[in-house]
Amino acid sequence: MLTLPHRPLRIAAAIALAAGIAILIVLVLWAILAAATGSEGSASRIDIPHLLRMTSIQAGLTTVLSIAVGMALAWALNRLRFPGRDLVVGLFASAIVTPGMVVAFGLLSIWGRNGWINQASEALFGFSIGNPAFGLSGILFAHVVLDGAFAARIMLARLDAIPTPRLKTGQSLGLTPWQRFAIIDWPSLRGTVPGLAAIIFLLAFTSFPIVLMLGGGPANQTLEVAIYAAVRQDFDLAGAVRLAATQIAVCSLVILAASALAPIPTSFGASTAPRWRDRGLARLLQMLVLMLCTIGFVLPLLSVLIDGLGAGIGRVVAQPAFWWATTSSLVIGTASALLTLLLALALALGRGATGNGLLRTLLGMPAFAYLAVPAVVLSLGFFLLVRQLGFAPATAAPFVVILANSLLALPFAMATLGPPLEAIARSRGKLIRSLGLSGWRQFTLVEYPLLGRDIGVMLALAFCFSLGDLGVIALFGTQDFQTLPLMMFRALGSYRGNDAAAIAAILLVGTIVAFVGLPRLFERIADAAR
Amino acid sequence: MLRVENLTFAHPGQATPYAFSLVAHEGEVTAVSGASGSGKSTLLDLLAGFLTPSAGSIELDHSDLLPLPPEARPVSLLLQSESLFEHLSAAKNVALGLPAGTPRAEAQRQIGEALAEVGLEGIGNQLASTLSGGQKQRVALARTLLRARPVLLLDEPFSALDDETRVAVRELVRVLTIRHGWHTILVSHHADDVEALAARKYLLVEGRLESLRDTPS
Repeated sequence: MLTLPHRPLRIAAAIALAAGIAILIVLVLWAILAAATGSEGSASRIDIPHLLRMTSIQAGLTTVLSIAVGMALAWALNRLRFPGRDLVVGLFASAIVTPGMVVAFGLLSIWGRNGWINQASEALFGFSIGNPAFGLSGILFAHVVLDGAFAARIMLARLDAIPTPRLKTGQSLGLTPWQRFAIIDWPSLRGTVPGLAAIIFLLAFTSFPIVLMLGGGPANQTLEVAIYAAVRQDFDLAGAVRLAATQIAVCSLVILAASALAPIPTSFGASTAPRWRDRGLARLLQMLVLMLCTIGFVLPLLSVLIDGLGAGIGRVVAQPAFWWATTSSLVIGTASALLTLLLALALALGRGATGNGLLRTLLGMPAFAYLAVPAVVLSLGFFLLVRQLGFAPATAAPFVVILANSLLALPFAMATLGPPLEAIARSRGKLIRSLGLSGWRQFTLVEYPLLGRDIGVMLALAFCFSLGDLGVIALFGTQDFQTLPLMMFRALGSYRGNDAAAIAAILLVGTIVAFVGLPRLFERIADAAR
Repeated sequence: MLRVENLTFAHPGQATPYAFSLVAHEGEVTAVSGASGSGKSTLLDLLAGFLTPSAGSIELDHSDLLPLPPEARPVSLLLQSESLFEHLSAAKNVALGLPAGTPRAEAQRQIGEALAEVGLEGIGNQLASTLSGGQKQRVALARTLLRARPVLLLDEPFSALDDETRVAVRELVRVLTIRHGWHTILVSHHADDVEALAARKYLLVEGRLESLRDTPS
């Protein structure tokens, strides 16, 4: 495009980085394949078809249920106006970063054998409802809580972006609530559904902590958990490698399908739509949907806070191991967020500087390829690579965990920073060119001030992903090197429920503070730079 | 007669509220012009019921319109864009002007007649997204015919049209307004549209409507 400023340095830096990231993928895959080749003939008894079937069933059901719940919730939130609405919307938006193990723990607190519901049921009616939080029902519930809320936020953004004149025309024509959904809402939503479904399927297919905590046994095991079990519990490296290869193959197919579908935005603007309330039954239904979804999402998180911030927290914070784990989590989270920012910014600036379609695809592909490599598989690959290069895994662990977390957050970071940077290049390219701004001045005067909030959103996403990560640290963690999620998992494994509750609450508070605070902080910093 | 008296409204943070007063007669086009940001679209939003004024009145033949929600007001809208739902056919867009439950055969007859009246026979099955700008505005006018609401609000409806189409659609609006006795209010900053159509002209200056001159047709 002639209007784009000439930025060869940006393009060169992006090419170099994309090549580096691609080489890293190749090395990881090579390490896995080499291990598979070297371990041929070992007597692994892993039933891959069963695991694949089970993983696909739970991911498929999660996808259908999450899309249905998300659409109903988005519909309700789009129509209803009430005090605290922004808070509720923000809460659902935070689902994307809420650690899975925290939600799983919350569900156990509510629906588990000794959960709130059972305690109330036994006290009032003298019977127990059993343990619905375990097994497939528990996995689906936890996934729908997280992915349904995520889907709702994405679809709400679409509904909020419906052009005001279209709404005015519809309202003036007196469309019924059903007509409004069919004629105005659905055409805006349907473009989102395939891409969103692919992302949710992928998230559920590669879900680790939720299945690990709520799976309840081999019957509900998935590929991701089976890889972990093969490495850490059965020491069956050959089996783990076969599972990892299967996992990557399926994820790649989903990614290929998803890449042809509409992109999913991860940051949102405020709605400017006029007030057009539905009436009668539709309104009642909207209130019911909102109430049920809020209870379904908020109650587990509330239980985590209530259980965790009670008396047991004193015992946890008195342990030196807690402070080591907290320090590790914060350092790893901060370092991986900054590394993600650096990588995403360099790649997105390079993509924004070229109008060549092929080059743009090549610059984006390596970053998005990490969607196809789940955390446990990436961790396994790095684990094998580090050993093959002759390093002790324990020595390399902190660096590998930072790098792996950063790479796993990269697709989301690119999706956050890419679109606004390209919009800036398109809309202001002529002006930047005519003024003869240097690349640095273009960044500091134009791009950075306009990107402030997006940079904050991206840092928050990367930091929170890393803070809640269990998939990577699960393979690299040792007694001397652990993060808060790993410490929580170990506390659960040794039946120290109070310790786990306290850590879950701290993780949840940390996640919310980062997710709410970082975008605002960077928005202010960028505003000050204007 | 549509009478608007001292219709007062202020957007958040707006120091001096708008205060609109105007009169529009049956079978006439009343034009409101003014600079960008002068409040032309706000006036239409108040008339259509999308905004609620803090004071004033809107009466059509002595009947108070203010308590009515947008869908119940005797008003049709024609905007610069988004007057049609692009994924629906022209006929389905026009059908939205019919009362719910209109028998299928009757609906098809009325849709056909309305499309014929705006000069678009035979395009009913075409998707709105495939129509030209002028055709889209004609389809929206066909829908207005079926809605049979006495007030037609036009918000820069000719802005996106080329000169030739603009003159043709403008003429259609003039003819339909007279034929169906509409109270048509045109908001535009194009002087030639105003000159060609308006029987009454108002200029929006600092949130107030100034009557330029009355030239009843």
